[in-house]
Amino acid sequence: MDLNETAQESAFRNEARTWLEANVPTSPLPSFDTAEGFALHREWEQKLYDGRWSAVSWPVEYGGRGADYIMWLIFEEEYYRSGAPGRVNQNGIFLLGPTIMEVGTQEQKAKFLPSMASSEIVWAQAWSEPNAGSDMASIHSKATRDGDEWVLNGQKIWASRAVWADWCFGIFRTDPTAERHRGLTFILCPLDLPGITVRPIAQLDGDTGFAEIFFDDVRVPVANTLGEENKGWAVAMATAGFERGVSLRSPARFTEAVKRLIHLWKTYGDPTDTALSDAVTDVWVQAEGYRLHTYQTVTGMLEGRTIGAEASLNKIFWSEMDVRIHEIALQILGPEAERMEGPSQRWVDGFLFSLSGPIYAGTNEIQRNIIADRVLRLPKGM
Amino acid sequence: MKFSFTEDQRLFAEGLRDLLSKQCTPTHVREVWENQVGHLPDLWSRLAEMGVLSMLVPESQGGMGGTLIDAVLLFQELGRAAVPGPVLEHMAVAAPALAHSQWAPALNDGTTIATLWVDTSPYVAHAQVANIILTHDSVITDFSMDDVHGIDGGRQLFTVHAQATTETSSEVFGLPASDVMALASAAYLIGVSEAMIEVAAHYARQREQFGKPIGSFQAVKHLMSDALLKVEFAKAPTYRAAWSASTGSSTALRDISMAKALAGEAAYGASRSTMQVHGGIGYTWEADLQLWMKKSWALMRSYGDATYHRRRVGASVLHG
Repeated sequence: MDLNETAQESAFRNEARTWLEANVPTSPLPSFDTAEGFALHREWEQKLYDGRWSAVSWPVEYGGRGADYIMWLIFEEEYYRSGAPGRVNQNGIFLLGPTIMEVGTQEQKAKFLPSMASSEIVWAQAWSEPNAGSDMASIHSKATRDGDEWVLNGQKIWASRAVWADWCFGIFRTDPTAERHRGLTFILCPLDLPGITVRPIAQLDGDTGFAEIFFDDVRVPVANTLGEENKGWAVAMATAGFERGVSLRSPARFTEAVKRLIHLWKTYGDPTDTALSDAVTDVWVQAEGYRLHTYQTVTGMLEGRTIGAEASLNKIFWSEMDVRIHEIALQILGPEAERMEGPSQRWVDGFLFSLSGPIYAGTNEIQRNIIADRVLRLPKGM
Repeated sequence: MKFSFTEDQRLFAEGLRDLLSKQCTPTHVREVWENQVGHLPDLWSRLAEMGVLSMLVPESQGGMGGTLIDAVLLFQELGRAAVPGPVLEHMAVAAPALAHSQWAPALNDGTTIATLWVDTSPYVAHAQVANIILTHDSVITDFSMDDVHGIDGGRQLFTVHAQATTETSSEVFGLPASDVMALASAAYLIGVSEAMIEVAAHYARQREQFGKPIGSFQAVKHLMSDALLKVEFAKAPTYRAAWSASTGSSTALRDISMAKALAGEAAYGASRSTMQVHGGIGYTWEADLQLWMKKSWALMRSYGDATYHRRRVGASVLHG
């Protein structure tokens, strides 16, 4: 055990910090869930790519730096420390990208990875359906084979970034006789094809961060299949495991939020209120604990261990911590916490967004079932 | 940066687990609760032979020359078996603190048994098995004692009247004895929690109601998952605290406090949830669960409770 950075890690940190300090926009960009904000975030991603910072953990040949997980965490710490914009192509770079690297063909890697790293193509995810939410295996959208093409029909919902994204990835039923998680195929699909209708859904904050996608005889080449036909569930689960486990919410996001919370407490908090100072300390402890837990997890991955259902523990932990951080901030803000503008805006927006955390990427109740079944080996059942 | 244990460290902990699975079963622990001897003498000898008791004593003083990183998984294993007696006090504090004293050889081989009297408590745990008692600045070599009925039968409490003392330092690796105990008990409590969760998960697989194992019900699954979550997220902070303490880090005390606060709360949470999963049988003397539950209730407040330790973290991070 050595929790000091190596010289190489420190040098990497310094390089990232220097680049970010010179390049991060001086004022925050508009939300990437608006047309203007989306375009500006894509420009920022292009800039990151040009500096080879958009996908540091990817191999050099696809635009990355071949950084290991520890270095990826260091980059994330510097990224959040710098106040850089949110990652508009997160669905691609952190979810789909690693999956393509794992199960994609050489042609798919060459075609999709560089354009993903540069955000020339921004990806939306299209998994859930109106009747396939927590029960994701009950997917009805189907893909029917016609020569060298899939013909897609059906409806997806809660597709993040789909309003302005270029492509989507999702799972479709390809074997109508198979049930549940069998007979599904993972398919990549441009969002500007004939037969596709994207209907924005206003979120709790009023922005249209997600959408419904309707497929009406949409034709895509069979070459757009990721992984084996009828084995899409396993491909999707690999992606979901990575999402919940490490890449979706890196610890720096929360350690930086807690730093801002401590600043808010110092500025507006009542120092004689020990319940409040205990609460602020508690989320510092949680964020620091999550950081340490993540470093331990990725060291294990570097030593050859895989993360399985333990990823569900992470997802519950960070999503509940995020809500708690924002609840305390709103408590400190008092009457200002009712305002959706001015100095409290970021905290109120953050609070609304934090409430989605326990729901998306598999509700926390589903995660608890997964932990009980696969880690604690309790019997299946509802 | 490398946040993992070495193969040797893991194997040593596995060896200890193996020993305890044979010589410190719930039946053995119950014996100690009933016979009032205060510990398991045969096990004590084996812990001495294996080098557990002298793990933190320098090799030049006849010990294993280990660090708190080497010891932290051992504390955890001792907790998993709810080992009765002054093993933490002896191993984590007394043996290394007195490594350069006349008592060193006998502490290393376990023929002299030491326990600890911390300033924050009027009581001394395990005094009936101890030959000497270490306080923050002295060794009590002759004493009388009165029994205080404690909640944990594997950790009997006493009021002690010192008759002869010798001045000494009780620091270990430059840290106060109570903080080293806070770290050791944090790791021990993680082991205690793991055991409670395993016992309750086993019970939930066997016990049937409504024609199904109760572990198939979501209410039970979620109770158990939440208990596990707290324990899993107490581990990395506890291991980090051991690293900070071993390397003389300036944040060692803060990191120890973080570990003790998290581990104490995780253990208490696990005791509540696992007892609930047991239902009525969990409220009986007969159920083994109490061997760990009572250990958690005794240790969560010893060497500083969660509020004390969280405020010490707060003093560092809010005002630092």
